[in-house]
Amino acid sequence: MMLQPVRRPLGPLKSLLRRNRQAQQFMARTMATETTPTASEMAASSSIPPPPISTLAAKKPSKFHVIPSKTPGKPIRTAFAVYAPPPSARAAHPDALISYHAQQIRRLDRTGTRTALFSKKNPDAAKPGDVLQVTTNRGEPFAGVCLSIKRAGVDTAILLRNHLTKVGVEMWYKIYSPNVLGIEIIWRRPKRARRARLYFMRKPRHDMGNVEHLVAAWRRSRNVFSSNKGRGTQGKGGKGSKGSK
Amino acid sequence: MLNCIDNSGAAIVECALVVGRKRHASIGKPKPASIAIVLPSFRDRIVAIVQKQRGASDAGMGSASAANKVQRPDGSVVKFDDNACVLISKAGDPIGTRVNGVVGAELRRKKWSKILSMAPAHA
Repeated sequence: MMLQPVRRPLGPLKSLLRRNRQAQQFMARTMATETTPTASEMAASSSIPPPPISTLAAKKPSKFHVIPSKTPGKPIRTAFAVYAPPPSARAAHPDALISYHAQQIRRLDRTGTRTALFSKKNPDAAKPGDVLQVTTNRGEPFAGVCLSIKRAGVDTAILLRNHLTKVGVEMWYKIYSPNVLGIEIIWRRPKRARRARLYFMRKPRHDMGNVEHLVAAWRRSRNVFSSNKGRGTQGKGGKGSKGSK
Repeated sequence: MLNCIDNSGAAIVECALVVGRKRHASIGKPKPASIAIVLPSFRDRIVAIVQKQRGASDAGMGSASAANKVQRPDGSVVKFDDNACVLISKAGDPIGTRVNGVVGAELRRKKWSKILSMAPAHA
Protein backbone atom coordinates (compact mmCIF):
# COMPACT_ATOMS: atom_id res chain seq x y z
CA MET A 1 0.00 0.00 0.00
CA MET A 2 2.78 2.34 0.90
CA LEU A 3 4.87 1.34 -2.07
CA GLN A 4 2.17 2.10 -4.60
CA PRO A 5 2.74 5.87 -4.87
CA VAL A 6 6.45 5.21 -5.24
CA ARG A 7 5.93 2.92 -8.20
CA ARG A 8 3.35 5.15 -9.88
CA PRO A 9 4.21 8.70 -9.05
CA LEU A 10 1.42 10.09 -11.27
CA GLY A 11 -1.21 7.67 -9.85
CA PRO A 12 -2.87 10.10 -7.47
CA LEU A 13 -2.78 12.86 -10.05
CA LYS A 14 -4.46 10.57 -12.59
CA SER A 15 -7.19 9.58 -10.15
CA LEU A 16 -7.68 13.25 -9.32
CA LEU A 17 -8.08 14.13 -12.99
CA ARG A 18 -10.47 11.24 -13.53
CA ARG A 19 -12.59 12.33 -10.62
CA ASN A 20 -12.64 15.87 -11.91
CA ARG A 21 -13.69 14.70 -15.40
CA GLN A 22 -16.47 12.52 -14.03
CA ALA A 23 -17.73 15.37 -11.87
CA GLN A 24 -17.87 17.60 -14.92
CA GLN A 25 -19.82 14.96 -16.84
CA PHE A 26 -22.20 14.58 -13.92
CA MET A 27 -22.73 18.35 -13.79
CA ALA A 28 -23.43 18.48 -17.49
CA ARG A 29 -25.91 15.67 -17.19
CA THR A 30 -27.77 17.28 -14.33
CA MET A 31 -27.93 20.54 -16.22
CA ALA A 32 -29.34 18.78 -19.28
CA THR A 33 -31.98 17.03 -17.25
CA GLU A 34 -32.90 20.21 -15.51
CA THR A 35 -33.94 21.91 -18.74
CA THR A 36 -37.64 22.05 -19.34
CA PRO A 37 -38.78 19.94 -22.27
CA THR A 38 -39.33 21.91 -25.47
CA ALA A 39 -42.53 21.89 -27.47
CA SER A 40 -41.16 19.44 -30.02
CA GLU A 41 -40.03 17.08 -27.29
CA MET A 42 -43.50 17.23 -25.79
CA ALA A 43 -45.03 16.45 -29.17
CA ALA A 44 -42.63 13.58 -29.71
CA SER A 45 -43.39 12.06 -26.34
CA SER A 46 -47.10 12.31 -26.97
CA SER A 47 -46.78 10.82 -30.47
CA ILE A 48 -45.11 7.70 -29.15
CA PRO A 49 -47.87 5.13 -29.12
CA PRO A 50 -48.65 3.40 -25.89
CA PRO A 51 -47.38 -0.16 -25.62
CA PRO A 52 -49.65 -2.27 -27.77
CA ILE A 53 -52.30 -4.08 -25.84
CA SER A 54 -52.21 -6.82 -28.43
CA THR A 55 -48.85 -7.99 -27.10
CA LEU A 56 -50.40 -8.41 -23.70
CA ALA A 57 -53.57 -9.91 -25.14
CA ALA A 58 -51.68 -12.09 -27.66
CA LYS A 59 -52.37 -15.11 -25.55
CA LYS A 60 -56.07 -14.54 -26.04
CA PRO A 61 -56.93 -16.46 -29.16
CA SER A 62 -59.54 -14.20 -30.65
CA LYS A 63 -61.60 -11.14 -30.70
CA PHE A 64 -65.22 -11.20 -31.53
CA HIS A 65 -66.84 -10.10 -34.72
CA VAL A 66 -69.00 -7.00 -34.32
CA ILE A 67 -71.91 -5.76 -36.38
CA PRO A 68 -72.54 -2.02 -36.62
CA SER A 69 -75.81 -1.30 -34.89
CA LYS A 70 -78.24 1.61 -35.26
CA THR A 71 -76.97 3.34 -32.14
CA PRO A 72 -73.52 4.68 -33.00
CA GLY A 73 -70.72 3.68 -30.68
CA LYS A 74 -72.55 0.59 -29.49
CA PRO A 75 -71.91 -2.16 -32.02
CA ILE A 76 -73.47 -5.54 -31.57
CA ARG A 77 -71.00 -8.13 -30.44
CA THR A 78 -71.54 -11.55 -32.00
CA ALA A 79 -70.39 -14.91 -30.78
CA PHE A 80 -68.18 -15.45 -33.81
CA ALA A 81 -64.54 -15.44 -32.87
CA VAL A 82 -62.10 -13.82 -35.27
CA TYR A 83 -58.64 -15.32 -35.09
CA ALA A 84 -55.47 -13.58 -36.14
CA PRO A 85 -53.98 -15.05 -39.31
CA PRO A 86 -51.15 -17.51 -38.73
CA PRO A 87 -47.63 -16.22 -39.37
CA SER A 88 -46.74 -16.25 -43.06
CA ALA A 89 -44.59 -19.22 -44.01
CA ARG A 90 -43.48 -17.37 -47.14
CA ALA A 91 -42.05 -14.52 -45.09
CA ALA A 92 -40.34 -16.92 -42.69
CA HIS A 93 -38.90 -19.13 -45.46
CA PRO A 94 -37.94 -17.31 -48.68
CA ASP A 95 -38.11 -19.08 -52.04
CA ALA A 96 -35.81 -22.07 -51.87
CA LEU A 97 -34.97 -22.01 -55.59
CA ILE A 98 -33.83 -18.39 -55.55
CA SER A 99 -31.57 -18.95 -52.58
CA TYR A 100 -30.26 -22.14 -54.17
CA HIS A 101 -29.39 -20.31 -57.39
CA ALA A 102 -27.68 -17.56 -55.40
CA GLN A 103 -25.69 -20.11 -53.47
CA GLN A 104 -24.63 -21.95 -56.62
CA ILE A 105 -23.57 -18.69 -58.27
CA ARG A 106 -21.55 -17.79 -55.19
CA ARG A 107 -19.88 -21.18 -55.38
CA LEU A 108 -19.12 -21.08 -59.12
CA ASP A 109 -18.28 -17.38 -59.46
CA ARG A 110 -16.39 -16.45 -56.33
CA THR A 111 -15.06 -13.12 -57.57
CA GLY A 112 -18.37 -12.08 -59.11
CA THR A 113 -16.75 -11.04 -62.41
CA ARG A 114 -18.89 -13.36 -64.51
CA THR A 115 -22.05 -12.02 -62.90
CA ALA A 116 -20.87 -8.46 -63.46
CA LEU A 117 -20.01 -9.18 -67.10
CA PHE A 118 -23.64 -10.01 -67.87
CA SER A 119 -25.37 -7.92 -65.23
CA LYS A 120 -28.08 -5.60 -66.47
CA LYS A 121 -26.94 -3.01 -63.94
CA ASN A 122 -23.39 -2.89 -65.27
CA PRO A 123 -23.15 -0.30 -68.07
CA ASP A 124 -19.99 -2.02 -69.34
CA ALA A 125 -21.62 -5.45 -69.46
CA ALA A 126 -21.60 -7.64 -72.55
CA LYS A 127 -24.78 -7.15 -74.54
CA PRO A 128 -26.37 -8.94 -77.49
CA GLY A 129 -24.60 -7.88 -80.65
CA ASP A 130 -21.16 -7.81 -79.06
CA VAL A 131 -18.56 -10.27 -80.24
CA LEU A 132 -17.46 -12.50 -77.38
CA GLN A 133 -14.82 -15.16 -77.07
CA VAL A 134 -15.32 -18.12 -74.77
CA THR A 135 -12.26 -20.07 -73.68
CA THR A 136 -13.04 -23.57 -72.52
CA ASN A 137 -10.77 -26.05 -70.85
CA ARG A 138 -10.57 -28.11 -74.05
CA GLY A 139 -10.22 -27.16 -77.66
CA GLU A 140 -9.77 -23.79 -79.23
CA PRO A 141 -11.60 -20.75 -77.90
CA PHE A 142 -14.85 -20.07 -79.68
CA ALA A 143 -15.54 -16.49 -80.75
CA GLY A 144 -18.82 -15.30 -82.13
CA VAL A 145 -21.41 -12.60 -82.09
CA CYS A 146 -23.70 -12.86 -79.09
CA LEU A 147 -27.25 -13.41 -80.33
CA SER A 148 -28.95 -13.72 -76.98
CA ILE A 149 -28.36 -13.99 -73.26
CA LYS A 150 -30.62 -16.42 -71.47
CA ARG A 151 -30.85 -15.17 -67.90
CA ALA A 152 -31.83 -18.07 -65.68
CA GLY A 153 -29.92 -17.85 -62.43
CA VAL A 154 -27.03 -20.27 -62.38
CA ASP A 155 -28.12 -21.64 -65.78
CA THR A 156 -27.49 -18.27 -67.44
CA ALA A 157 -26.18 -18.94 -70.92
CA ILE A 158 -25.03 -17.03 -74.00
CA LEU A 159 -25.60 -17.93 -77.64
CA LEU A 160 -22.64 -17.20 -79.91
CA ARG A 161 -22.71 -17.39 -83.68
CA ASN A 162 -19.78 -17.57 -86.03
CA HIS A 163 -18.89 -18.96 -89.43
CA LEU A 164 -16.33 -21.74 -89.53
CA THR A 165 -15.29 -22.86 -93.02
CA LYS A 166 -18.25 -20.90 -94.39
CA VAL A 167 -20.74 -22.86 -92.35
CA GLY A 168 -22.71 -21.07 -89.67
CA VAL A 169 -22.06 -22.50 -86.22
CA GLU A 170 -23.94 -21.54 -83.08
CA MET A 171 -22.88 -22.44 -79.58
CA TRP A 172 -24.66 -22.05 -76.28
CA TYR A 173 -22.34 -21.67 -73.33
CA LYS A 174 -23.28 -21.65 -69.67
CA ILE A 175 -21.47 -18.65 -68.25
CA TYR A 176 -21.05 -20.20 -64.79
CA SER A 177 -19.81 -23.54 -66.14
CA PRO A 178 -16.52 -24.65 -64.58
CA ASN A 179 -15.45 -25.70 -68.09
CA VAL A 180 -15.62 -22.08 -69.25
CA LEU A 181 -12.29 -20.59 -68.27
CA GLY A 182 -12.85 -17.08 -69.58
CA ILE A 183 -15.24 -14.89 -71.51
CA GLU A 184 -13.78 -11.87 -73.25
CA ILE A 185 -15.38 -9.02 -75.13
CA ILE A 186 -13.70 -8.90 -78.52
CA TRP A 187 -15.70 -6.16 -80.15
CA ARG A 188 -18.52 -3.95 -78.99
CA ARG A 189 -21.46 -3.18 -81.20
CA PRO A 190 -21.24 0.57 -81.93
CA LYS A 191 -24.94 1.11 -81.35
CA ARG A 192 -26.98 -0.75 -78.79
CA ALA A 193 -29.08 -3.47 -80.36
CA ARG A 194 -32.76 -2.65 -80.08
CA ARG A 195 -33.69 -6.27 -79.57
CA ALA A 196 -32.72 -8.66 -76.81
CA ARG A 197 -32.56 -11.66 -79.16
CA LEU A 198 -30.83 -11.03 -82.46
CA TYR A 199 -32.08 -14.11 -84.26
CA PHE A 200 -32.47 -12.05 -87.41
CA MET A 201 -28.70 -12.21 -87.68
CA ARG A 202 -29.08 -15.78 -88.94
CA LYS A 203 -30.50 -14.42 -92.16
CA PRO A 204 -27.89 -13.93 -94.87
CA ARG A 205 -28.78 -10.25 -95.16
CA HIS A 206 -27.87 -9.53 -91.53
CA ASP A 207 -25.31 -12.25 -90.92
CA MET A 208 -21.96 -10.97 -89.66
CA GLY A 209 -20.13 -13.92 -91.17
CA ASN A 210 -16.79 -14.88 -89.79
CA VAL A 211 -15.55 -12.73 -86.91
CA GLU A 212 -11.94 -13.85 -87.29
CA HIS A 213 -10.81 -10.38 -88.42
CA LEU A 214 -12.27 -8.85 -85.25
CA VAL A 215 -10.55 -11.45 -83.12
CA ALA A 216 -7.26 -10.77 -84.91
CA ALA A 217 -7.63 -7.02 -84.38
CA TRP A 218 -8.42 -7.57 -80.73
CA ARG A 219 -5.39 -9.80 -80.31
CA ARG A 220 -3.19 -7.20 -82.00
CA SER A 221 -4.52 -4.46 -79.73
CA ARG A 222 -3.82 -6.65 -76.74
CA ASN A 223 -0.28 -7.25 -77.92
CA VAL A 224 0.32 -3.51 -78.33
CA PHE A 225 -1.08 -2.93 -74.89
CA SER A 226 1.16 -5.52 -73.30
CA SER A 227 4.29 -4.29 -75.11
CA ASN A 228 3.57 -0.69 -74.02
CA LYS A 229 3.20 -1.90 -70.51
CA GLY A 230 6.50 -3.69 -70.80
CA ARG A 231 8.23 -0.50 -71.93
CA GLY A 232 6.73 1.38 -69.02
CA THR A 233 4.66 3.85 -71.09
CA GLN A 234 1.07 4.60 -70.30
CA GLY A 235 -1.10 2.29 -72.39
CA LYS A 236 -4.59 3.24 -73.39
CA GLY A 237 -7.31 0.87 -72.24
CA GLY A 238 -8.48 -0.86 -75.36
CA LYS A 239 -11.90 -2.17 -76.12
CA GLY A 240 -10.88 -5.64 -75.18
CA SER A 241 -9.40 -4.65 -71.84
CA LYS A 242 -12.74 -5.20 -70.16
CA GLY A 243 -12.42 -8.95 -70.48
CA SER A 244 -13.16 -11.22 -67.59
CA LYS A 245 -11.13 -14.14 -66.51
CA MET B 1 -30.19 -34.56 -98.48
CA LEU B 2 -26.85 -33.70 -96.95
CA ASN B 3 -23.82 -31.84 -98.16
CA CYS B 4 -20.79 -34.02 -98.59
CA ILE B 5 -17.76 -32.27 -97.14
CA ASP B 6 -14.98 -34.64 -98.14
CA ASN B 7 -13.07 -34.93 -101.41
CA SER B 8 -14.56 -38.26 -102.40
CA GLY B 9 -16.31 -36.49 -105.26
CA ALA B 10 -19.86 -36.48 -104.01
CA ALA B 11 -21.50 -33.10 -103.46
CA ILE B 12 -24.94 -33.92 -102.15
CA VAL B 13 -25.83 -37.20 -100.52
CA GLU B 14 -29.22 -38.64 -99.83
CA CYS B 15 -29.72 -40.59 -96.66
CA ALA B 16 -31.29 -43.96 -97.28
CA LEU B 17 -31.53 -45.32 -93.76
CA VAL B 18 -30.35 -44.59 -90.26
CA VAL B 19 -28.58 -47.67 -88.96
CA GLY B 20 -29.99 -49.25 -85.87
CA ARG B 21 -32.29 -46.41 -85.01
CA LYS B 22 -35.81 -45.54 -86.00
CA ARG B 23 -35.32 -41.87 -85.24
CA HIS B 24 -33.37 -39.07 -86.81
CA ALA B 25 -29.60 -39.28 -87.07
CA SER B 26 -27.23 -36.91 -85.35
CA ILE B 27 -23.54 -36.16 -85.33
CA GLY B 28 -21.42 -39.27 -85.65
CA LYS B 29 -24.22 -41.58 -86.75
CA PRO B 30 -23.39 -43.84 -89.70
CA LYS B 31 -26.05 -44.54 -92.27
CA PRO B 32 -26.14 -46.09 -95.75
CA ALA B 33 -26.28 -43.45 -98.41
CA SER B 34 -26.89 -43.02 -102.07
CA ILE B 35 -25.08 -40.32 -103.94
CA ALA B 36 -27.41 -37.93 -105.67
CA ILE B 37 -25.24 -35.25 -107.21
CA VAL B 38 -21.62 -35.70 -108.08
CA LEU B 39 -18.98 -33.29 -109.17
CA PRO B 40 -18.34 -33.68 -112.91
CA SER B 41 -14.62 -34.17 -112.58
CA PHE B 42 -15.08 -37.07 -110.20
CA ARG B 43 -17.84 -38.79 -112.05
CA ASP B 44 -15.97 -41.95 -112.87
CA ARG B 45 -14.93 -42.51 -109.35
CA ILE B 46 -18.36 -41.84 -107.97
CA VAL B 47 -19.97 -44.28 -110.32
CA ALA B 48 -17.69 -46.90 -108.95
CA ILE B 49 -18.77 -46.13 -105.40
CA VAL B 50 -22.41 -46.13 -106.31
CA GLN B 51 -22.05 -49.49 -107.98
CA LYS B 52 -20.35 -50.81 -104.93
CA GLN B 53 -23.14 -49.50 -102.80
CA ARG B 54 -25.82 -51.01 -104.89
CA GLY B 55 -24.08 -54.30 -105.06
CA ALA B 56 -23.01 -54.98 -101.51
CA SER B 57 -24.09 -51.88 -99.56
CA ASP B 58 -20.44 -51.31 -99.02
CA ALA B 59 -20.35 -47.59 -98.50
CA GLY B 60 -22.01 -45.55 -95.85
CA MET B 61 -21.67 -42.09 -94.50
CA GLY B 62 -20.98 -40.59 -91.13
CA SER B 63 -22.88 -37.47 -90.32
CA ALA B 64 -20.32 -34.81 -89.58
CA SER B 65 -22.44 -31.85 -88.59
CA ALA B 66 -26.09 -31.43 -87.75
CA ALA B 67 -28.44 -28.52 -88.18
CA ASN B 68 -30.40 -29.77 -85.22
CA LYS B 69 -29.19 -28.70 -81.81
CA VAL B 70 -26.93 -31.16 -80.03
CA GLN B 71 -26.46 -30.80 -76.32
CA ARG B 72 -23.19 -31.80 -74.75
CA PRO B 73 -22.62 -33.26 -71.32
CA ASP B 74 -21.23 -29.98 -70.01
CA GLY B 75 -24.42 -28.10 -70.88
CA SER B 76 -23.15 -26.34 -73.97
CA VAL B 77 -25.14 -26.75 -77.16
CA VAL B 78 -23.87 -26.77 -80.72
CA LYS B 79 -25.90 -26.11 -83.84
CA PHE B 80 -24.75 -25.92 -87.43
CA ASP B 81 -26.49 -24.21 -90.29
CA ASP B 82 -26.46 -27.31 -92.50
CA ASN B 83 -26.36 -31.07 -92.43
CA ALA B 84 -23.18 -32.55 -93.79
CA CYS B 85 -21.63 -35.95 -94.09
CA VAL B 86 -18.44 -37.78 -94.88
CA LEU B 87 -18.50 -40.96 -96.96
CA ILE B 88 -17.07 -44.00 -95.23
CA SER B 89 -16.54 -47.55 -96.34
CA LYS B 90 -18.12 -50.48 -94.62
CA ALA B 91 -14.99 -50.93 -92.56
CA GLY B 92 -15.44 -47.42 -91.18
CA ASP B 93 -12.55 -45.76 -92.99
CA PRO B 94 -13.26 -42.48 -94.78
CA ILE B 95 -13.34 -42.79 -98.58
CA GLY B 96 -12.05 -39.27 -99.18
CA THR B 97 -8.67 -38.12 -98.04
CA ARG B 98 -9.60 -34.60 -96.98
CA VAL B 99 -12.49 -33.03 -95.12
CA ASN B 100 -13.30 -29.48 -96.15
CA GLY B 101 -15.83 -28.40 -93.59
CA VAL B 102 -16.37 -27.94 -89.90
CA VAL B 103 -17.41 -31.08 -88.03
CA GLY B 104 -18.86 -31.60 -84.60
CA ALA B 105 -16.61 -32.50 -81.70
CA GLU B 106 -19.04 -35.30 -80.87
CA LEU B 107 -17.12 -37.41 -83.40
CA ARG B 108 -14.40 -37.90 -80.82
CA ARG B 109 -16.82 -39.27 -78.27
CA LYS B 110 -18.28 -41.57 -80.91
CA LYS B 111 -14.89 -42.94 -81.96
CA TRP B 112 -14.60 -41.18 -85.32
CA SER B 113 -11.28 -39.58 -84.51
CA LYS B 114 -9.99 -40.26 -88.02
CA ILE B 115 -12.60 -37.95 -89.54
CA LEU B 116 -12.03 -35.42 -86.77
CA SER B 117 -8.29 -35.30 -87.42
CA MET B 118 -8.91 -34.73 -91.13
CA ALA B 119 -11.27 -31.82 -90.51
CA PRO B 120 -9.94 -28.25 -90.65
CA ALA B 121 -12.11 -27.11 -87.76
CA HIS B 122 -14.38 -28.63 -85.20
CA ALA B 123 -16.91 -27.02 -82.96
